[in-house]
Amino acid sequence: MTRAKPRDGTTGTTKSACETFHMTRRSLLRSAAGVLLGAPLAGRLAAGTPAAPYVLRGRTPSRPIQDDEIVLGVSAAFSGPSRALGTELYRGSMAYFNHVNENGGVNGRRIVMKLYDDGYQPDPCVANTISLIQDPSVFLLFNYVGTPTVTRALPVLKKFRDEQMYLFFPFTGAEPQREPPYGEFAFNLRASYRQETAGLVNNFLDIGRRRVAVFYQNDAYGRSGWAGVREAMAAHGETMAGEATYTRGTQFGSPMRDAVEILQARSPDAVICIGAYQACAAFARDAEMLGLHIPVANVSFVGSENLLGLMRENHEEPDAHTRWLVNSQVVPSYEDRSLPAVREYHELMDRYDPPPPSSDEVDRINEGEPYETVPRSFVSLEGFVNAKMITEIIRRMGDRPERSGIAEAVFQVRNYDLGVGERVRYGPDRRQGLQRIYYTVPEGDRFVSLDDWQARFGVS
Amino acid sequence: MKLGTSRRSDALKVRKLFRKTRFGFFSLFGVVVLAISMLSIRTVSRELEDEYISNSESIAKNIADSSVDILLNRNLATLQSLIDQFVQIQSIRYIYITSDTGEFLAHTFVPGIPDQILESDPSSTEPVERSISGMGDFVEVGSPILSGVAGTVHVGMDLELLGLKIRRAMGQQIALLCIILVVGVLASIWLVNLASKPLSDLLGYVAQLARARAGDAPPQEAILVRDDEVGDMARLIQYAATRQEDSESRSGSGT
Repeated sequence: MTRAKPRDGTTGTTKSACETFHMTRRSLLRSAAGVLLGAPLAGRLAAGTPAAPYVLRGRTPSRPIQDDEIVLGVSAAFSGPSRALGTELYRGSMAYFNHVNENGGVNGRRIVMKLYDDGYQPDPCVANTISLIQDPSVFLLFNYVGTPTVTRALPVLKKFRDEQMYLFFPFTGAEPQREPPYGEFAFNLRASYRQETAGLVNNFLDIGRRRVAVFYQNDAYGRSGWAGVREAMAAHGETMAGEATYTRGTQFGSPMRDAVEILQARSPDAVICIGAYQACAAFARDAEMLGLHIPVANVSFVGSENLLGLMRENHEEPDAHTRWLVNSQVVPSYEDRSLPAVREYHELMDRYDPPPPSSDEVDRINEGEPYETVPRSFVSLEGFVNAKMITEIIRRMGDRPERSGIAEAVFQVRNYDLGVGERVRYGPDRRQGLQRIYYTVPEGDRFVSLDDWQARFGVS
Repeated sequence: MKLGTSRRSDALKVRKLFRKTRFGFFSLFGVVVLAISMLSIRTVSRELEDEYISNSESIAKNIADSSVDILLNRNLATLQSLIDQFVQIQSIRYIYITSDTGEFLAHTFVPGIPDQILESDPSSTEPVERSISGMGDFVEVGSPILSGVAGTVHVGMDLELLGLKIRRAMGQQIALLCIILVVGVLASIWLVNLASKPLSDLLGYVAQLARARAGDAPPQEAILVRDDEVGDMARLIQYAATRQEDSESRSGSGT
């Protein structure tokens, strides 16, 4: 396999932030076309329609470090039932990196993402992480997706601790990357599941919904949320009303009747779901169908817009169908244009509208089903905010950034205004930048802020 | 003996002579195969069961040993990640970890913890067979974490899979024994035929000798050169026949 020239054409005026590697004959043909059609492609990029970048699977050979770029290694779900999460997170980051690169990069260096697909499965994530750590061109790891994947990647970082490789802003609120023995290898931006679930539990208890049950993905992610609910309930002297589980990778078409009936038997006042959008949408659908008319809460990882889209799809009364949903978020509403970061997000997403990454292998796994991008989402906003923060950290590292200086650069961030209404602060004992939780409910085909829990979900 | 019969019927008469021998061979082989089969079924079944339980106990102990720090750090996500890796082992169908107070801290059940498990003693580590509706039959073993003060690990092994393994092992053993039985029977038939052939030749020679006296062609005398007991007997019969002829010719000439 050979590395082709970036898809930014030959003019050097516009540069895509995603590195392109080519694995198959078809890919090589596409790459050749990219080089041959350099000028028109550059024009397309300038117009804000970059070509779809490639995503890798398995090991790939490394290449020499380039003086004019910073490579961020990414292992995330670009295929399978959770691909919307990896894709939207990527699109949000890409919108910002494209903007940065168009304006000369960071200290003269373009920011480039090297993408690997793990399909939200732990073993491929471990293999990808090893490849990325052993690739000398990769400066740091970024935007990993999911708890079961990240919890398995953390020991790899510890194993290769001499490489001083850090994982930045994984899309998970689990505790393992926030606590010993692996906390020192990761930096988080978003609030934790513990904070999200505690907030949900506190609000439910405040409005008199004391029997809180949990529906969760039966893996490290689900357990992390389950533990958060358990802890929050215990703080109020309560215990969980019941629990039901599902297997990671469950699709929207799967019946959730058994899980709903298990919880129904425990007469809960509210259910907190710790899962991905396909399974959680299926659960909410079956709960409604079986007459479980109680609030169904989801945490930020669920992918709110994808969840809502599935639930509203082919439904005669979509608003009534989604009446009981409430989702916690770790970034503010993308509708809140009073915030500078949200305004910038709108502007850059409109300008670049980054296409989803693809490759022959990923297309095969997705069975040729093209991914429909979501124009605005909490996930892509989080990706955008992650990109803003990492750019600032790299900027603080000066002209010759080195891995050995990463932690020091992060710890310099003490009161940084990211434009989301909350200042970011890091320190040796504080490896999570943001703390705030936001609560949202569906209004039509979007989520809006929930201001009055009692009015919406209060027990009459 | 009825003269003038074919060589084939002569041979049949010899087979009749060995019928009991052959039956004895078959019976003996059958008894041996049956006895070995039963013994091996019993041995294989017991050893596989023992090995299964022993492996389960090792896995449970392994998880228990690995869980101590994780549990003390209250890191349940990592604990779940740990048991998720073990449950990928083919024969393990479920794992659950209970605290010292009996609370379920991590498990692999979908869509929920079965009632039979919820009602069981969470601190018990004795192997126990469970039949869980909708899931199947299992043998469950337990291992204490930090002598039980931090909780207990329970591992459920699939009995159906164990049964399948036992049946497969038994099938292989029985197939091998059946092959040995068939080969043995065929070998015994061949050996009996080998043993009966000289007798068959002798029978043929006697018949030819008798027919020669009735005016037919003289018998082939190849059998007379054999240096074994059949050769001796043929020569004795020929001698007796010659003496008989001489005696008959002497008495005929005297009258």
